[in-house]
Amino acid sequence: MAPMTTPLYSWHRQQGARMALFGGYEMPLWYASAKDEHLAVLTHAGVFDTSHMAVVLVEGPGAFELLQFCFTNDLAACLGPRQTPLKPGRAVYGAFLTPEGHVIDDAIVFMLAGDAFLVVVNAGMGQRVATHLDRHRQHRDVRVKDLSGQFGKMDVQGPMAARMMRDVLADPEQVFDAMPYFAFKGGFSATMPSCGSVVTRDGVPLLLSRTGYTGEFGFEIFTSAETIINVWEAVMAAGAKHGAIPCGLAARDSLRAGAVLPLSHQDIGDWPFCHHPWPFALPYTPAQKGFTKTFLGSTALETGSAPYTYPFIGYDLRKVTLPAKVRDAADRVIGDVLTCVTDMAIEWHGERVFSISSPDVPEGFTGGGLCCGFVRVADPLPLDTRITLKDKRRQIEVRIVADIRPDRTARQPIHTML
Amino acid sequence: MKELSEVNLPEDVRYTKDHEWARKNGGTFQIGISDFAQDQLGDIVFVELPEVGDRFESGDEFGTVESVKAVSELFMPLGGEVVTINAALEDAPELVNNLPYTEGWMLEIKASDPSEYDQMMDRAAYLDMLKGLEE
Repeated sequence: MAPMTTPLYSWHRQQGARMALFGGYEMPLWYASAKDEHLAVLTHAGVFDTSHMAVVLVEGPGAFELLQFCFTNDLAACLGPRQTPLKPGRAVYGAFLTPEGHVIDDAIVFMLAGDAFLVVVNAGMGQRVATHLDRHRQHRDVRVKDLSGQFGKMDVQGPMAARMMRDVLADPEQVFDAMPYFAFKGGFSATMPSCGSVVTRDGVPLLLSRTGYTGEFGFEIFTSAETIINVWEAVMAAGAKHGAIPCGLAARDSLRAGAVLPLSHQDIGDWPFCHHPWPFALPYTPAQKGFTKTFLGSTALETGSAPYTYPFIGYDLRKVTLPAKVRDAADRVIGDVLTCVTDMAIEWHGERVFSISSPDVPEGFTGGGLCCGFVRVADPLPLDTRITLKDKRRQIEVRIVADIRPDRTARQPIHTML
Repeated sequence: MKELSEVNLPEDVRYTKDHEWARKNGGTFQIGISDFAQDQLGDIVFVELPEVGDRFESGDEFGTVESVKAVSELFMPLGGEVVTINAALEDAPELVNNLPYTEGWMLEIKASDPSEYDQMMDRAAYLDMLKGLEE
């Protein structure tokens, strides 16, 4: 099959981006420098073409019930510390599982209205997730539609993102008001209930969401396939004075790994979706014993055995190349490396990891870069366990950690970023 | 990414199919990777080199260059013994990106069979090969 392209393909080529295939799409891997792009998201802002991602529209009186059955998170109890129900204008992260509890894909569910949801999944997964939902529709009155290729999407991530969007939006004060992490406003097609409530100065309707895949403050922006190039150019123009640069998939991968976010079909996949660093994607009861709802795959997760997934950090920036094995102190193979990248913004200083954007960064700190990622092992490992990662060429010692890049900004209130 | 017309290919070195170069330097040979290779790899953040005194055959892996995303092998353009390594790359691996034929050199070797150099590609042959890769 010939590679697919996004509406921004020509722009990427004109900028001399190094292109690569990802999820069936020919996408920019980097423009001038993957390292500079990674650092720009921490210090200024980065702009990513994410039009390769897929969106499935689920609507009708049975939409909520269908998603409650198929999606791992509890839509009736997922908002905030009090676990209140999802409401229009809010989004939640979770996954779609097989009856065995294995991952079909992870997703963010955006609630447009009581009976209408946008399900944002990974590149090339729209049809598969739509088919899966349709198969489990049963008697429910619900329509499932794969919108892949019918929209454009870009992410603006970094501390300058709100200042940039203030210059792009027609009414930024009203849009930014009451817009916490994982809230969204607007729409990208006339049939969406709030479409028109967020528009650019050129009058282009957007769905603007306080989400992203870097761990840093910013937005995901959805618009039509026809208008994405205009929005992209407006955002880049607004970003010029704020040090924003276009970023490719290499920086996206190293940023998300440092932010302890999984890559679907790599860090989560064809094994049970539990015992991992993303418990917020599962509907655990407050006592963490069992789930608040029954859903497709829940019985398998509650009763079956599963491997354990942990984040790790190395002691310098050297990586192993996949496939690579995990070995314990006795040199026994105990698991596999899922992701191993370099976060160029972090470095050990004594017993603590700092980021170049840490508020209390030590004097002279440059952020030399550390290897980091995820391992999957057969049995539980305590925090700070030292393990060895070994590929065909080298072995490196790393440490099991709870978190990787410190002082991330994703949850910062908008008003502190203007 | 550079267009082929923008790739710097000096005349005073010879090239391999794996994109290393060698330069005759009196009785020894200096070794590095081509401008095409560094452009393909992207930001180089770490270079792993052998030790002085190590011996290699032509085609042996002698080290790695590491970008943010990947680790790539380096192969000997000709056999011999390592007499010097470029220690500056330890603190400044980006020299390989910025000055691949000068300050971004990697090794100096004493060749076991200097005639292997004559079998390497000259600029024209290497450029022809790169044109073939683009098609």
